[in-house]
Amino acid sequence: MKHKILIAGAAATALALTLSACGSSSSDSSSGGGSGTVASKLILGGPPEFKKRADGIPGLAKHYGVSFGKYTVTDTGGPVTVNALKNGQVDAADLFTTDPSIEANHFVILTDPKANFAAQNVLPIISKAKATDGVKTTLNAISAKLDTAGLGALMVKVVTQKQDPDAVAKAWLSDQGLSTAGTAASGVKLTVGSANFPENVLLAQIYAEALKAQGAKISLKLNIGSREKYVPALKDGSVDLMPEYNGSILQYLDPNATATAPDEVFTALQKVLPKNLIVLTQSAAQDSDAIVVTKATAAKYGLTSIADLAKKQ
Amino acid sequence: MSLLHAVFATADSPSSASSSPWHFFGYFLDHRSQDLSWLWTHTWLSVVPVIVGLLIALPLGWLSRRYGWLYPPMVSITGLLYTIPSIALFVLVPPLLGLSSLDPLQVPIALTVYSVALLVRVVADGLASVPEEVNQAATAIGYGRARRLFAVELPVAVPVIAAGLRVATVSNVSMVAIAGTIGMSNLGQLFQIGKDLSTPTAYYPPIVLGIVLCVLLALVLDALIILATRLMTPWRRAVPAK
Repeated sequence: MKHKILIAGAAATALALTLSACGSSSSDSSSGGGSGTVASKLILGGPPEFKKRADGIPGLAKHYGVSFGKYTVTDTGGPVTVNALKNGQVDAADLFTTDPSIEANHFVILTDPKANFAAQNVLPIISKAKATDGVKTTLNAISAKLDTAGLGALMVKVVTQKQDPDAVAKAWLSDQGLSTAGTAASGVKLTVGSANFPENVLLAQIYAEALKAQGAKISLKLNIGSREKYVPALKDGSVDLMPEYNGSILQYLDPNATATAPDEVFTALQKVLPKNLIVLTQSAAQDSDAIVVTKATAAKYGLTSIADLAKKQ
Repeated sequence: MSLLHAVFATADSPSSASSSPWHFFGYFLDHRSQDLSWLWTHTWLSVVPVIVGLLIALPLGWLSRRYGWLYPPMVSITGLLYTIPSIALFVLVPPLLGLSSLDPLQVPIALTVYSVALLVRVVADGLASVPEEVNQAATAIGYGRARRLFAVELPVAVPVIAAGLRVATVSNVSMVAIAGTIGMSNLGQLFQIGKDLSTPTAYYPPIVLGIVLCVLLALVLDALIILATRLMTPWRRAVPAK
């Protein structure tokens, strides 16, 4: 059990919850239990479903006894959330660990020692019919080289420096020695899709460019939208390959899933995948949720971990 | 073009990642083939539904003109279609029609619904705008009902119908962009990209480019309809005899 917690804790550093220093003066801490705690003075911002998600508000209360004074719906780790945190409309936010704006704004990621947030390792989800040995080898080679810091650095290029995702993908593949032309995937026709956020587009481009170099015939279907839209597309074969995050896709396919450590999540995921789909080896790169605060908020209340939010003020 | 580029470039910081709204032209040059292919799909996605919509609206509009009691229910029911939010319709069309969830047809089908909604009333009103003397004159010189409809009533109704087509076309241009948010490739993708890259600060070039191209497309299509209307109604330019 201790072993499990350690793994999960390590994984969970990937998930950042950002808290902002400003604007908490107006928060009314009348709601719910936990009054008098640091969290009760703060407003949390995040996606609409975070209120009910197992690792959202309920998870924070269950694992840490943390309940925020107020929850404000912003967006899913996007510009609305970042700006709300920066401008003080919210004091803490649910962001993603590879988000370059965390570093750019000196936000502080609160650690998640009790692994409230599940692992979110990047992995390819692909239709069985298209997963030839050559395709698997090519994609596994990518997963072997991908880690959280590396992915974060690529995201700086795409989001902060506005470089094109396909150019960034090509450059990364050649840096990693993965762009050598080959024939491993020749003759395979694949439609590569992505969800509608920049990191997923970038990952789809990395898969697409690597497979192209191996002779596959690729068509792209980027920015499809949310899982509600693209999982059916994977099932009916409109899309053959997508970059996914093991924790999120598990939660989507099995809302009662409890696994949080990367390997447990991976094992659980195998059991709930639709029949025509498989997932390949997962990478070390994690893009998980995290509670993030501004540097000033972290300093004001002495916050380093989500648990610190439950301290009495 | 290079001069134009230079003008825009000077209004701009030298960085290729400039987020100045004026950088949209540089952004266009950097992503020309992608943007042009989006512009092309955007164009046919805007035009085809209007044509199909008109073909459906003609008989419906004629029916509601021919049988007066049909007019109120027909116009209000088709008009109601227009109030369905477009994003809902895009998402609903594939399961309702048994299309695969990313079938590119879902967008033109949904937009056809809106075009019908706008055009049924326009066709009925257009036919109603034909002066009764004209109809009687046609009948008097031996035109049957069908021939009178195609040779007299519809041509005379062209200006009214064309006015409706202009509204339907231009509103389609803006509605197609919404389909960009569900991954359909058209100029709407530029807004998605602009939103995604607007962190930590706003990134205008793709958004401004999307607006500029949509407006240009709408103006061009509008002008084409005006031109076609002119060609189809030469009698409207006839000079009265002295």
